[in-house]
Amino acid sequence: MRDPRLTRRHFLAGAAGASAAALAAPLRLDAAPAVKKGASLRLWILKTYVEPTNKAIEASAQRWAEKHGAGVTVEYFTFEDVQTKYVAAIENRNTPDVGQLETGAPARFAGMGQLLDLTSFARQIEGEVGKPPANVAPVTVIGGKTYGLPWYIMPAFWYVWRDVFDKNKVKLPSTFEEAKAAAAALNRPKDNFYGLGQSWNRTADGYGVMQSLMYSNGVGWATKDGKYQSIKTARMQTVMKWATDIYKEGLQPADTLTWTGSGNNENFIAKNIAQTSNGPSITFAMENAVAKATDAKERKAREEALANHLALPHPGGAEARRMWAIAMSFGIFKNSKDPEAAMSLVAHLLSPEETLRVMKDSYGQFTPVLDKARAASREYFNKNENYRNFGRAAEWFVATGWPGPVTAAAAEVQASNVLTDAPAKVIVDKWSVDQAIDWADKKIKEIYDTIQG
Amino acid sequence: MVGLIGYPFSRAIWLSFTDKLVGYPERFVGLRNYVYLAEEDTFRTVVRNSLVFTVASVALKVLTGLAMALVLHATWRWRNFFRGLLLLPWITSTVIIALTWRWMFDAFPGRGFFNSVLLDAGLLTRPIAFMATPEGAMAAVVVANWWRGFPFFGVSYLAGMQSIPGELYEAAAVDGAGAWRRFWHITLPGLQHVMVVTILLTFIFTLNDFNIIYVMTRGGPGTATQVFATYSYEVAFNQLRWGRGVTISIYVVPLLIALIPLVSRHLLRERAA
Repeated sequence: MRDPRLTRRHFLAGAAGASAAALAAPLRLDAAPAVKKGASLRLWILKTYVEPTNKAIEASAQRWAEKHGAGVTVEYFTFEDVQTKYVAAIENRNTPDVGQLETGAPARFAGMGQLLDLTSFARQIEGEVGKPPANVAPVTVIGGKTYGLPWYIMPAFWYVWRDVFDKNKVKLPSTFEEAKAAAAALNRPKDNFYGLGQSWNRTADGYGVMQSLMYSNGVGWATKDGKYQSIKTARMQTVMKWATDIYKEGLQPADTLTWTGSGNNENFIAKNIAQTSNGPSITFAMENAVAKATDAKERKAREEALANHLALPHPGGAEARRMWAIAMSFGIFKNSKDPEAAMSLVAHLLSPEETLRVMKDSYGQFTPVLDKARAASREYFNKNENYRNFGRAAEWFVATGWPGPVTAAAAEVQASNVLTDAPAKVIVDKWSVDQAIDWADKKIKEIYDTIQG
Repeated sequence: MVGLIGYPFSRAIWLSFTDKLVGYPERFVGLRNYVYLAEEDTFRTVVRNSLVFTVASVALKVLTGLAMALVLHATWRWRNFFRGLLLLPWITSTVIIALTWRWMFDAFPGRGFFNSVLLDAGLLTRPIAFMATPEGAMAAVVVANWWRGFPFFGVSYLAGMQSIPGELYEAAAVDGAGAWRRFWHITLPGLQHVMVVTILLTFIFTLNDFNIIYVMTRGGPGTATQVFATYSYEVAFNQLRWGRGVTISIYVVPLLIALIPLVSRHLLRERAA
């Protein structure tokens, strides 16, 4: 039964009231909102595997604070505890002033009435920071209103060992089917080397790739309007078959399903697997390893490894190349005691100059999405073949719930782990593909019956 | 009492009768959460996993604890040193224990302790993915839980053995009773109340265990090691369904409530004795 509390009208009404109060004073078009001296804000940001990025964002926030005689307390959440922290903050009414939000969070939190409507603010600073591309905008535009300002995406790429492919004369893959064929050709279990490392674990490495696989094959659990649609289709059979055959055919290490979020990184860098999907943190790790080499021999080996690893565009499917990615945006919580200062901080962080400074410390994992920063970053991403792919990531991005908008229901489908549990039921519990698809479809329908908008 | 126990407990019971979602006010829905979970295949798996994990862990702890107590009860050199050493698992942080066992069972070549030793000794040609199968993953978490908890049993049984009158053993020896008969007819009956209390308490604690499984397997592979506490956490914090998440934890409460009077009765009997 649908929950009447969770209709679009409910949260739009709540959010409109909050944003009207926050933006009562008109903003100058050529400047961010004014900041009262002594303003103090709490900023929550994502702690990624690339430590320099985290420090760079913190430093950028402190530059704003120094400029305005204000204070910023930066607090971190990780990939692992992002939900726990935000849930606790919301229930305890202790949300930060400004928070970085991952892909589905704007839809979820806006639905709860937790976020300020930033539509006017977004328009007013557009001249300074630019707009996101049309395929990224849906992450933060809910019901026609803007509840967050997108900053960057952390895209996924198809990492391969070029020398392994060359030596075995195997074509570099551009589709999931080619990747599976390449895995079969390169698989050498007797030497503890496997063709692929794709875990259906409960991290973005799992549910993110599953979404890329589904969307690239034209499978979506929602319509263009964001309503539920069944996934019991022939195309989903193809998707599930790919997802489970890579295990059944022994193309991966036996413990792949139990990997943590960094399991595939470690196995790829150790050259136990020929291919894996991951963000640019693998490249960061390898570049960092070269910098930390202690002698010439070690340095040479690490430089060779760096040169041999390729970050290919994420594979496409029968229909297109559609890559799910973590899209990070800034939201301002309605409990903020100083929304104008919060907006000023966000405008500062999103400015092309600050964005570039942070991006240059991100080792490619931070692909800006606002067009002014994208334009400014073109030279940075022209560094080499891998970085050129990093810079193009926004072209292939699709958000949770494709082809529909990002809704609270779509975000919950991702958060419920049904996308990774379904193949796991075939692999671990020996269900049939049909059974697993039926089970997943039922779960998704139940979510859409409970949550709307 | 009200602040520490009464309010949180009654609030949890209330939430289990609501469809509370994070960020929204709760609405009373009666037994809907209980019915939903009773019909959900994942929850049935969780119940089975929780019982297997708990019973296996407790059984191992009882046996090892008894063995530890018997050895430490005897008089031998270095006894006091080993009494302290064997307490180390009990005083070590659970997260450290879970991470260590995860490392030990790791299939990553050259890193997992067991695989490294077996590969280097030539006993294996390829690493074993201990935690890749449901049975292997469950065995791994049981081993970690056992290792953490057996010292509590050992110390408790040792204290119990030291309260058994020595004359009973002397009389039995005079009557020709061997070691096994003395153990079976004197030691075990003498430890009866202690054993019941330790088993029941550990059963309660283990049924609610979260740390070991969350750190080692996150409930995987698939849902092979998902237990009440980890599933409750996932439903409440990832799916934002607090009403249902709380209900998962509350499902265990009737069983625990039935066990608590048993514990109390044996504790009081022990005190009276």
